[in-house]
Amino acid sequence: MRPKLGLRGLKLEKVLVLTGRDAVKISVASIITAFILFSIFLLLEGANPIEAYGHIFSYAFDPRLGLPTTIHRSTILLFATLAFILPLKAGLWNIGMEGQLYLGTVGAFAVAYAFGNLPSGILIPLMLITAGLFGAIYGAFAGFLKGKLGVNEIVITLMLNLIGYWLLYTLVVGGPWMGIAESQSRPLPASAWAPMIWKVPFTVFLAPAIAVMLYFLFKRSTIGFQVKALGSSQPAAEHAGINPLKISLFVMVVGGALMGLSAYHTWAGDPAFHLIPRPEGYRGIGELTYWGIMVGLICILNPLAAIPAAIFVGSLKEGGTVLVRRLGLTYGLDYVFMGILFLTFVALQFFYRYRIMRVKKKG
Amino acid sequence: MWPFIARCLEVATILLFAGIGELLDQRSGVLNVGIEGLMLFGAASGFITAFHTGSLLIGFIIGTAVGGIFGFLHGLFSITLKVNQIVSAMGIWIFAIGFTTFWADRYSGSTVPLSPRMGNHLSPLFFLAIALVFIVWFILSKTHLGLKIRSVGEDPSVAEATGINVVRTRYPCVVVGGLLGGLAGAFMSLTYLRLWGHLPTDGMGWIALALVLFSMWKPWILLAGALIFGVVWQFGISPELFVPGLGLPLGVCRMFPFIATIVVLIVISTPKFRRKWGLAKPAALGLPYIKE
Repeated sequence: MRPKLGLRGLKLEKVLVLTGRDAVKISVASIITAFILFSIFLLLEGANPIEAYGHIFSYAFDPRLGLPTTIHRSTILLFATLAFILPLKAGLWNIGMEGQLYLGTVGAFAVAYAFGNLPSGILIPLMLITAGLFGAIYGAFAGFLKGKLGVNEIVITLMLNLIGYWLLYTLVVGGPWMGIAESQSRPLPASAWAPMIWKVPFTVFLAPAIAVMLYFLFKRSTIGFQVKALGSSQPAAEHAGINPLKISLFVMVVGGALMGLSAYHTWAGDPAFHLIPRPEGYRGIGELTYWGIMVGLICILNPLAAIPAAIFVGSLKEGGTVLVRRLGLTYGLDYVFMGILFLTFVALQFFYRYRIMRVKKKG
Repeated sequence: MWPFIARCLEVATILLFAGIGELLDQRSGVLNVGIEGLMLFGAASGFITAFHTGSLLIGFIIGTAVGGIFGFLHGLFSITLKVNQIVSAMGIWIFAIGFTTFWADRYSGSTVPLSPRMGNHLSPLFFLAIALVFIVWFILSKTHLGLKIRSVGEDPSVAEATGINVVRTRYPCVVVGGLLGGLAGAFMSLTYLRLWGHLPTDGMGWIALALVLFSMWKPWILLAGALIFGVVWQFGISPELFVPGLGLPLGVCRMFPFIATIVVLIVISTPKFRRKWGLAKPAALGLPYIKE
């Protein structure tokens, strides 16, 4: 049966095979639609959209103003996107990046406080490894439950996020890690600060490198093939001799480790932190990771496309802060933009299944 | 003790509103993992309305209606446009996080008038929630409409062949699910919390989702689950009322409801439970229905 469209001369046709190029077109169309809708929204708020976009991007990419923070936040977002993409390739929804970040934070800071007098060359790798390990343990828990018992990983990872939030809260607010300022942690020792390369922390280069590695993992390796096979059909994958438990564990452990790793970058890579801020502060960074879900989906789970997409969203996030200061708009417009972008993307997913065709007239 | 029990019952009310709506949704074969988003919208719009009009009733009505609109939107995406139901619900949830942050956080710290309470402590809406459990149970298991809803959730193509319109059966369920999600959020911000803070739903919507899975899609088990989690949640908020002199830090107590949710999900996923569960689960849950 062909669904009918109310317009004369047009009809809907089922898409049998979605090509990569079509998927890219849909993603680009959703970004353009979101910009149009957000412009209308800005007009309703009483701002000139062109002027607002000018302010956003000129601030976000100005080396003296927003650029360092844009780079820092985009890197967190890229880590979050990669930690989301890899499990979803295998059909697992990892929305636990927030909790993995918190767990990684616990790991990194525990090492830094315990061995603060070690030289940087030993301390920093140790912190990175522990942060990744803590994130990996979180991921392994959810991956094991999914692979072994089929427990809904969406709910599990979200619950772990909330547990992670309160774990950090317990440690920092009035807990053993409390600093001089109540509800903030003690500062990191100077030997734990991330060394700068060309004025940015070295961890900034780590994220794109991992993105490239993931790209080749999907493209070339056996395990990448197995991940994709499980993602497209579990019965078929099992028939082909793929162990779902092993793959579920693999994607969640690596995803969790990536996000855990980013905890080091988050707090040691930005001189404005060098400690765990008060709960509103670390939650603000934690919430940033949820945009990784959107970035991952819009990139059609392509790790390479995630690099520019994360920079784009990160710059909007950082540049959006000037709307409050320069144009006197209400705080949080950047959040609105991302929400609109996600919704337009969802709506345009319709074209994953159907396309609108012009009916050719006979004769 | 009574004030504490009343608070527990009010948490159960939130979970019941959200859960019973989701249960109806899922019975018709539509999974909405974004209840948290529906609740956020219900909470924010209800709160802002009540704050400006001074009327809790109008707040409740608007909050519920806005929940219904987003329930409808989920239906539009997942039933008509045939988008993956998880992607659609995630979109609505993330949109809710973004939009309510922008829209409602300027009211942080504001309060609304005190809700009328029975015996000074319990909101009468608790009994509405109980009534809804009964109504949904009655409709699902005793009426022709319920049969239609269940058959659409089990096997839409067979249902279609027997003359049931799948789309027209699913839409009302999704919209009612949205309305109830909105009501749950409005109840949370207007009665339970009375105060706006950043993202006030705090994972409650996700617990409601877990409870629906736990209930094996049976309203009475959902009621039992909601009552238990009402106590667990409130224990996390004010443990000293429950066990005087308990020395645990606040943060540790607040983890309890979430740990309990994980434990429950693990238990119901064990093979022993699964045998029963496998029979009860709507077979077409989460699959978009595409006519051939």
